[in-house]
Amino acid sequence: MPPIIRFDRVSVTAHEKTILSDVSFTLLPGEKAVLCGKSGSGKSSILKTLLGLHTIASGTVYFQEQALTPTSAQAIRNCAAYIGQEPILGADSVREALLLPFQFKAHQGHRPSEAQLVEVLQRLQLTADMLKRTSSRISGGEKQRIALARGLLLGKKLYLLDEVTSALDEKSKQAVFEVFADPELTVLSVSHDPEWLARCSIVFELEAGRLAQVGRYGNT
Amino acid sequence: METLDIALPRMALLYGLCLLPWLLLRLMGLRLSRDIAISILRMSIQLALVGIYLKMLFELNHPWLNGLWILVMLLVADLSILRRAGLKARYFLLATFAAIASSIVFSTAYLVILVIQPTHFYDARYIVPLAGMILGNCLQGNVIALERFYSALRKNENEYTTFLMLGATRWEAVRPYFREAVKAAINPAIASMATMGLVSLPGMMTGQILGGSEPWLAVKYQIAIMICIFTSTTLACIINLKLSLNIAFNAFDVLRDEVIQQGPFK
Repeated sequence: MPPIIRFDRVSVTAHEKTILSDVSFTLLPGEKAVLCGKSGSGKSSILKTLLGLHTIASGTVYFQEQALTPTSAQAIRNCAAYIGQEPILGADSVREALLLPFQFKAHQGHRPSEAQLVEVLQRLQLTADMLKRTSSRISGGEKQRIALARGLLLGKKLYLLDEVTSALDEKSKQAVFEVFADPELTVLSVSHDPEWLARCSIVFELEAGRLAQVGRYGNT
Repeated sequence: METLDIALPRMALLYGLCLLPWLLLRLMGLRLSRDIAISILRMSIQLALVGIYLKMLFELNHPWLNGLWILVMLLVADLSILRRAGLKARYFLLATFAAIASSIVFSTAYLVILVIQPTHFYDARYIVPLAGMILGNCLQGNVIALERFYSALRKNENEYTTFLMLGATRWEAVRPYFREAVKAAINPAIASMATMGLVSLPGMMTGQILGGSEPWLAVKYQIAIMICIFTSTTLACIINLKLSLNIAFNAFDVLRDEVIQQGPFK
């Protein structure tokens, strides 16, 4: 099976500072990987480089064996969901936030039904009442799950998660784990949560922008 | 009806009026003497030079010379807009010039050729002050539009990126900030039209009345200039922002840091 993501000796510099240096790894479809390392070691930069948000100084990033170009970056963005620690919902209410991407040309005509909205919320331990809530009045953990729900509604297959379980209680965390138990979903995450690490099949250890260690486990 | 001249001794008397605010500001402990003196001196020298140049321009009334004057005004406005909006001129000079030049030429030509209809469309007495007035107001609008748009983008970088991640094209992702910037830029022109004549007597109308025009004629010119200011500001802001989008972002739709001046802008 060809890899979904491949970094081939990728180096990234920003403001004359090296943030990634000679990073190489592959990720197969369905694999769940986690990036570990100290703050500033380049974990989030890997996710952002993959999305075309950082300029690559040398090396090549491949997505589905296509080198990263402005056109393929658009394909990655359409295929991947990026969820940070404090996701931006980008709309006044939760309902509007969930429906926001369906206003864009790329997803027009695929607007989900009310039943689909409720179903996806329930999968993530959120009730239907949440749809009426104001985005500014919901907690960080709820925001993370709504951003995740939005990815699921868009049928995204690749999830780039930055400390996505950091604000979740035990029950919500279990719900998120269940979502990612789906073998069709590929995950590249940044986390320090031991429970999350235990569920990932690959652990990439980063040190000052370099990939120091790769651990592969058989629990995909 | 002739406008009464202000003789030089009486001009000196006028400058003397500045002593009152200067004294009050000094008593308040505001050390603005230098700034005030420089500003008054600059205003006097600049206007004196403009006066000399305009006198020559009106006497010669040559289409190329009039055009050259408008070109100089456009270039100065272009640089002023970019400096005040915090954008680097080396990247945006052409785009901003194209935006303001097209909108100013269009609205001035519309007003002079179709509405006022002087014997010669290039008559300096009409095109120079009208284009200058439209441009002055258009300049303010463009500063607001560019400054608001790029500071909103930088402030909401995560939101903009989120829109891209949700499948938005660059245009779809910037649209909320684009709309807000255009609204902020044209709001002063709209508010100014709504209160015109109630809050203050507009400058152009006052000038015409002092110059001996009938109030009714002055009113018509004031309406004409306000409509042209509103039209050209709206057009220039939209064209300027649209053209700047092709310069300010890289091929991956990321805002280029190098196009923005470092410092107060953010």
